[in-house]
Amino acid sequence: MGWSTEHHPRTDALESCVTCGLCLPVCPTFRITGDESASPRGRLAAMTIVDAGRAEVDERFGDVMSLCLQCRACETACPSLVPFGEAMEGARAEVQAQVPPRGSRIKKFGLTTVLRSRFMLRLMTIGAALFQRIGVLKRLPVLGVQAKGLRRLPLPVRSAAGGSWGAGDDERPVAMLLSGCVSDVWFSPVHTATVEVLVAAGYRVEAPAGQTCCGALAAHGGFATEADEMAETNIEAFASADVVVADVAGCGAHLRTYQRLGARGSDLAAKVRDIDEVIAEAVGDGRLPTLDPRDEDVAIQDPCHLEHGQHANTAVDKVIAAAGYRPVPIDRGGLCCGAAGVYQLEHPEMSSELGERKAAAFGAAGIAIVASANAGCEMQLRRYLDDGVRVVHPVELYAEALRRRR
Amino acid sequence: MFAKDAGVTPGLVEAAVLPRTTEEVATCVRIARKHGLPIVPRGAGTGLAGGAVPTEPGLLVVLTRLNEIHDVDEVARTAWVGPGLINLDLSKRLIERGLHFAPDPSSQSASTIGGNFGTNAGGPHCLADGTTVAHILAAEFVTPDGDIVMMGGEAPDTPGLDLRSIVVGSEGTLGIATKILVRLMQNPPDVATLLLGFPSIEDAATTVSQIIASGLIPAALEMMDQPMVQAVENFVHAGYPTDAVAVLLAEITGTPETVLDGTNAIEQVARRNNANTVRVATDPVERALLWRGRKSAFGAVAQKAPDYYLHDTVVPRTELVGVLTKIYEIADEYGLDMLNVFHAGDGNLHPLVAFDSKESGKLETVMTAAKEMVRVSVEAGGSLSGEHGIGLEKRDLMGLVFSEEDLDAQARIRDAFDPDGVMNPGKVLPTGSRCFDAAGVRIPT
Repeated sequence: MGWSTEHHPRTDALESCVTCGLCLPVCPTFRITGDESASPRGRLAAMTIVDAGRAEVDERFGDVMSLCLQCRACETACPSLVPFGEAMEGARAEVQAQVPPRGSRIKKFGLTTVLRSRFMLRLMTIGAALFQRIGVLKRLPVLGVQAKGLRRLPLPVRSAAGGSWGAGDDERPVAMLLSGCVSDVWFSPVHTATVEVLVAAGYRVEAPAGQTCCGALAAHGGFATEADEMAETNIEAFASADVVVADVAGCGAHLRTYQRLGARGSDLAAKVRDIDEVIAEAVGDGRLPTLDPRDEDVAIQDPCHLEHGQHANTAVDKVIAAAGYRPVPIDRGGLCCGAAGVYQLEHPEMSSELGERKAAAFGAAGIAIVASANAGCEMQLRRYLDDGVRVVHPVELYAEALRRRR
Repeated sequence: MFAKDAGVTPGLVEAAVLPRTTEEVATCVRIARKHGLPIVPRGAGTGLAGGAVPTEPGLLVVLTRLNEIHDVDEVARTAWVGPGLINLDLSKRLIERGLHFAPDPSSQSASTIGGNFGTNAGGPHCLADGTTVAHILAAEFVTPDGDIVMMGGEAPDTPGLDLRSIVVGSEGTLGIATKILVRLMQNPPDVATLLLGFPSIEDAATTVSQIIASGLIPAALEMMDQPMVQAVENFVHAGYPTDAVAVLLAEITGTPETVLDGTNAIEQVARRNNANTVRVATDPVERALLWRGRKSAFGAVAQKAPDYYLHDTVVPRTELVGVLTKIYEIADEYGLDMLNVFHAGDGNLHPLVAFDSKESGKLETVMTAAKEMVRVSVEAGGSLSGEHGIGLEKRDLMGLVFSEEDLDAQARIRDAFDPDGVMNPGKVLPTGSRCFDAAGVRIPT
């Protein structure tokens, strides 16, 4: 029977694996289980036998695919350049089409309907913000642990979408901000800092009202058709940008995968920059200042989708240094922190094991400020680090330093 | 998913177990014996010769969970480790103590100490330090009967027959090592890595011979040909010269003076032999990137074709040019896409044929050509396998280097450990190695 959708893993992608095994040591789930079936090579082998018509997409196949964090560390380690993330999204799409696991309908509603609705996101956030303020959010079953990772949610809830900043008479390059879904309502201070810094770097900044969620969570979950719809919406919305800026590493990494959708998708993908890259470049060519040194360390966490998805993690070091701090990368080249989008809800044990390991590495360094360029990682770190540690986006530190100078 | 290692031949797995302790390994062995299942130990499955691939439905004992560092003795410079520990993890975790485990196969970021033990693995730095057997002092060993015994010992020299050196490199045919005492080496105070590009294979090979003849022993001396360099550079972006016909990677370690002298000496020899690229890397990041390129060479071949077949022959250094020329001719004759990457310093060749096994008859053509390549190496006074092991894939070529008497003697040793032939049957020794070989009869051919 084999595959049933057009999204299935491509044969040439699967064939590009020569089973050398260099991906095994960088795979978080393999490192924890020691089990080949929890490794990238094992997962590709499972996809390959389905592709060859020698096995079905069954529940066991679904379980094997489900345990993957989609951190894409295996892509960085792979000398054969196997597009693993793409193959995994294809495999997940097949699982959803053929053997949807329990809870798939709720998951689909959340990842493809709620995330596309600013109204529902806002409503949800207002509710959560109220719960957070009366102190019951942390005490809820299941969601309680998750809630510990949240920032203080803003009230009133504002959206960046539709905004325009830094307009002038001169011809400035246009930077378009991906305001995103959850990040738009939960991480608005990060967007505020991003906009401030972009304007200071000489951009006119727009957050097109017509944009939607990047579709990363939908694609990772196997809702490929909806993810493609979201991509098309964004390709349209960002068409006139000179540069498209993301301040959530997972979103930026996913925008870059739009090259799968033809020439217009490739055009957009080529214009995507993480805010840290933009700052590092602007500091490099003098459009942004290097600020006064402070005698203080900042611990840097490398989000997988900045490192493996965008090869841009070292830009954060430059941003932190430009903000006047001493950058101290922690556990560089190490394993995923275990956040991985909605993974922590589906595989809490694996997620917490990885979260504890990551927190232990940061704890050993004993630095009071931790910078993470990805919303999911930020929440995961806050969940497992001591309460006194400040977890923050690098752009916020740079914007603060910029404000102090004024 | 466990049916294959990094080689090309899939096997038959009845069940796979992932024990966590020596006792659990012994129990697994006893249960398998009770049910008449052959037993095949496996580490990370990065082997290239099918050593961890069961040839008949068997129990795969996966040792990745025995990955602890039990005890490090900094004074004696030894450590007891689990066989599932990843080679590079050991050295990484010892970095602050200034020690490392010397054998460094290309797969070292993924392969396990147990796998290195099983195949007597080599690696670029084995030129100066010797292969794995020189770095294993003792092992706790589960016998084919499920008993737990000790081979070798913590004392520098144990009395009696040196069983340790027999089990290292036995590829899981004599039993399963569950705890290994490894020798640790001191990290060198200074290191330089030279990247040398040449306009011809001859120039590079002559450079290798002259470096060794000059009395220098570099820590490593590696060669890659142009197709290999291009594939590697495409992945690693380390600045390998893609226009060079052959590239050498040489490493000198020691005191700063030794390193400087050695670097100058190698540079002179290289320039005399028409080197058009000479780059000296002393920065750890730059060096690591160059080595990452060399060590990802096998995987990078996938950019050419979905499958590859790799040889592991050894030839005398003086024969390098002649043998390589013949090997290129063989590849041409069969119309095969070949890339070369190898340990030039010790004449350990790895001609690598990239192909697509879905093309009908292609695998057979590759194997026929492969056999000729081995024959050329053996005829030049070389050997069948340098470091990857014999496993399944080189098994039937053993007759090229060993007489019937030699094979019979090896089979007798194996019988002494495993009279019923349950440990990794069908590996290393070809069918009928023993005259009247009972085990040989049931190996499917």
